[in-house]
Amino acid sequence: MVTKEEIFEAVSTVIDPEVGFNLVEMGLIYDAESNEEGNAIVTMTLSTRACPLHQMIVQWVKEAVEKVEAISSCEVNLVWEPEWNITMANDNVKKALGG
Amino acid sequence: MFAISQDFAPPFKLIAPFFVIGVLFYVVTVVFGLALDAETMSYLDSAVLGWVHLFLLGFVMMVIFGAMAQLVPVVLEVGHFGVEFFYVIWPLLLVGTVMMAGGFIAAPALLPYGGTIVLISMMIFVLDIFLTLKKVEKFNFVMTTVVIANSFLFMGVIVGIILALGYAGQIDVDITALLNGHVYLVVGGYIMITIMGLSMILLPMFGLSHGFSWKPVERALVVMSISVILVVFSSFTGLTSIAYLGYVLSIVSLFVYLYQIVTLYKTRARKEHDIYAISLYFSFGSLVVSLLMGSLYLLNGSEQLLLSAGWLIFTGFVGFLITGHLYKIVPFLVWFERFSPLVGKEKVPMLADMVPTKSANAQFIFTVIGVTLSALGLLSASDALFKGGISFMSIGSLFLLQSLMYMIRFR
Repeated sequence: MVTKEEIFEAVSTVIDPEVGFNLVEMGLIYDAESNEEGNAIVTMTLSTRACPLHQMIVQWVKEAVEKVEAISSCEVNLVWEPEWNITMANDNVKKALGG
Repeated sequence: MFAISQDFAPPFKLIAPFFVIGVLFYVVTVVFGLALDAETMSYLDSAVLGWVHLFLLGFVMMVIFGAMAQLVPVVLEVGHFGVEFFYVIWPLLLVGTVMMAGGFIAAPALLPYGGTIVLISMMIFVLDIFLTLKKVEKFNFVMTTVVIANSFLFMGVIVGIILALGYAGQIDVDITALLNGHVYLVVGGYIMITIMGLSMILLPMFGLSHGFSWKPVERALVVMSISVILVVFSSFTGLTSIAYLGYVLSIVSLFVYLYQIVTLYKTRARKEHDIYAISLYFSFGSLVVSLLMGSLYLLNGSEQLLLSAGWLIFTGFVGFLITGHLYKIVPFLVWFERFSPLVGKEKVPMLADMVPTKSANAQFIFTVIGVTLSALGLLSASDALFKGGISFMSIGSLFLLQSLMYMIRFR
């Protein structure tokens, strides 16, 4: 079974081209789990509901996780609660965005 | 899961002409400013009316229509009723605008024909928007602004055609009275309300603002709508006190809108001072100054104040709001078209890598100096100062064109 950390590591290869940080650093990935059959579920949000890239980002996450050897499929659960805010990002992101 | 906006996103080749032609009109309009005389200028001069129509139709409306082609599916979460309409909107708007400018500057007989072509272009746009809105199940604030703004646009264009016929001498109308209604319907009713709506999508999206109240902008929308209705009512009835109340309310509305912008600014996570951010600082700063000048104009009636305030609203506030957003929207569209299919297969650029920093900064500096000098030139009725400002703006406009072409050609 693939751990949450391994799934997060896979998702960390997905970068938001607007801000230039990966989704895990941004704090957009809320949870991840997988079962013994290799089915993974990633629970995530986006920085704005109006994000014109949202379908594409979801697809990138799915593809990144499905590249993990023991994963056969990945479902992305996009949620809006809790609403994302900058306090969820890591210090590196906060410092860079803070100008 | 929810509606997926990019399923309905129009191709870049459909949107690109709006931005390229819009910026070309910007260059032409700015240079055409050299033909205006700040010492004798009046807002009813045919050259001024020609300049205003080139700027608003050729640059502002062209870019807004292009942006709406992309943003309507994002905002409404449904596809356009007929995205193919946009292939005919820009050629019609282009031809109609050139004919209208020619009508104001040289041959008034062209005005009704140019006006009719612009009318057809805008009616197609409004038709697409309203038929697209029919698919929307639940309205939010931004959708409401789209409905109200496009209703005002519809009425404003009709009044504009009546004015064009009157200006060409084909019908007898009170041009001065109707002009106020036309200006308020199109500038206050369409452009300002569209800006209010789009601000609430774009500014929080690019600034990563969260946890702000929407109340100020909701109130600004109501007050601006009442203001437009009052001014239009007065332009048909001749009740000047009603018009005056409308003018005051429009200034109040924009101050309330500015308060909303302050709340977005305070709650933003991104605090970089990139070309987008500094363009917006100058844009909103220009709005503050022009509103103060507009308030003074209502007290003392000085036409120099009115001209200078109008100049700052158009070239400072609207101009920089649009150019600032071009540095965000164009890279996104090019990236989406050219690089998004390569994600995960090869290294792709970030959106910020696609902005030509030096050229963009040069555009900003030259245009800021130019707008400031030309506004002061209008305020003091100094043609030398005004023309000096236009010269700076002309160089800035060429840097804008260069930046745009760099972003579009980025590989």
